[in-house]
Amino acid sequence: MPPIGGRTIQASTAEPNLITATPPSTTRSIRSRVLGRSQDQASPERPLLVLHDVTMRYPNGKLALRDVDLVIPEGDFVFLVGPSGAGKSTLIKLLIRDEVATRGEVVLDGQDLAHLPRRQVPRIRRKIGIVFQDFKLLPSKSVWENVAFALEVTGTPRGRIGPAVDRVLALVGLTDQAQQVPSQLSGGEQQRTAIARALVHDPRLIIADEPTGNLDPLISWEILQLLLRINELGVTVMMATHNAEVVTALRRRVVALEEGWVIRDEVGGAYHRED
Amino acid sequence: MLSFVLFSLSRAWQGFWRNAVMSLAATATMGLMLLMLAGFWIIQTGLLAGLQFTEQKVEVVGYLQPNAQANQIEVLQSRLEAMPEVASVAYIDRDIALARFRASMTAQGREDLTRYLDSNPLYASLEVKLVDPSNVRAVGDAMRADPNIRNVINIEDLVDRVLTVTNILRTAGTVVLVVVGIIVLFIIVNTIRLAVVARAEEIEIMRLVGASDAFIRWPFVFEGAFVGLLGALLALGVLAAVADPISGFMVDFFRVLPLQFGSLTRDLVVLVLGAGVGLGVLGSWLSVRTYLIR
Ligand SMILES: Nc1ncnc2c1ncn2[C@@H]1O[C@H](COP(=O)(O)OP(=O)(O)O)[C@@H](O)[C@H]1O
Ligand SMILES: [Mg+2]
Repeated sequence: MPPIGGRTIQASTAEPNLITATPPSTTRSIRSRVLGRSQDQASPERPLLVLHDVTMRYPNGKLALRDVDLVIPEGDFVFLVGPSGAGKSTLIKLLIRDEVATRGEVVLDGQDLAHLPRRQVPRIRRKIGIVFQDFKLLPSKSVWENVAFALEVTGTPRGRIGPAVDRVLALVGLTDQAQQVPSQLSGGEQQRTAIARALVHDPRLIIADEPTGNLDPLISWEILQLLLRINELGVTVMMATHNAEVVTALRRRVVALEEGWVIRDEVGGAYHRED
Repeated sequence: MLSFVLFSLSRAWQGFWRNAVMSLAATATMGLMLLMLAGFWIIQTGLLAGLQFTEQKVEVVGYLQPNAQANQIEVLQSRLEAMPEVASVAYIDRDIALARFRASMTAQGREDLTRYLDSNPLYASLEVKLVDPSNVRAVGDAMRADPNIRNVINIEDLVDRVLTVTNILRTAGTVVLVVVGIIVLFIIVNTIRLAVVARAEEIEIMRLVGASDAFIRWPFVFEGAFVGLLGALLALGVLAAVADPISGFMVDFFRVLPLQFGSLTRDLVVLVLGAGVGLGVLGSWLSVRTYLIR
């Protein structure tokens, strides 16, 4: 247990702890906060994310999503699979309101993103942590600063930034690398930094767009294990991937896209259809 | 609110130094452009003053009949002074006219032939200065209509030609200044855009982690203002440094002109600082905007 994590436990025990049976961990505050929030704000039956009849046509006429229906309950772990160009990234862009659906509804935590005023978009994005294949880290900032950046630019008071950053760095296992810059890190460590940054807002949903696309198989497994652990803490995870081996081995929910259609949505599925 | 401003200022400061080469290049460009703008503005101001000076020299001279009575002249003089087109009227009696003539002959180094005359051959006159030289015709006609006036020198055609030239020069000066201003605007806005584009990834990350538009925009706006301020100080520094060597020339050149150096300097400082900070802010605002609108 890193010393920084040890301090965080004390801070987090002040919060209502809903899961008494679990051993103390550096991540308890994330879990308790996520579950606590879902109890005050959302009814237990309401899914975190609902897509209804969603069609996305880009301005150039390209139909990237067609009549997509998808319901994702809180706490789910979903693989989004399909060949390149199937529409996975487009779906993710709709979820973070980077694009707006041409038709249909995208409802995140009860809010219809199509009718969300522009000013509210940043607040929605803070409920989501996003991770990309290319990490998107700032090269001149250290690991610690990269993670803190997400809090600084959203107006988090100084005093709250330090403990939150230390806590997520402990969770992803980068406490010792906190002062290094991305170029001094391996690909896996860079991706863990990006995951820490995605987590630092205590999001309800982590979306990862091919997070292991640039990593070798062993490191890919490491990243996957981290995402599974985050999911166990109550955070919903959606991961777009090409990695058939991982998807088939884990037997989680699989949503397969092809040319914009959802061609399969199977709990406990493999990468490819098994009949 | 205060913490937001402090945050934006500190991010602007960091942003400036993090990419120091780019920022200093932008500042240098800003300084050069402002210097160019200031140079053209000084030329334009001098030109306008010169033209005004030339136009103010226009006066209508009416020679009086030798038999005109002093009280008639006074009546005529006050009638002319009452005209709205007239700025002032001076009565030049024959003695003054002769003295002036002699002085001008001496000044030109020519022999004064009037001393061979036994009487003063010159006429007394009224010299009328105009509010606006384009009114020369109305004033000339009014004088010609008076029986005490012997003749009025016909300067109307000459004045027309001078006015044509001065108006062309005025328009040309303004056009050049406006064109230079637009060029400066584009170069500065583009330079700042480059500095913002170089940080597109940072802006992208800010958007993705849920930063509001204000948190993204204001650090860049402050940074643009800072670049503008530094560029303006640079330009003013250069102007101050070259002011001494060329001031001798400037004083000689401008001495005859109705220029006030105090207000010229003050206007120049306001222009350079205002244009620098204003364009810096405008440039960043526009550049960041393209990343915010989605
Ligand atoms: N901004 C865009 N403008 C036009 N077409 C796009 C744009 N982004 C993606 N597309 C097209 O939409 C389709 C789906 O793309 P994408 O969602 O990136 O697929 P995936 O992530 O599954 O590889 C592709 O045919 C792609 O060319
Ligand atoms: Mg993709």
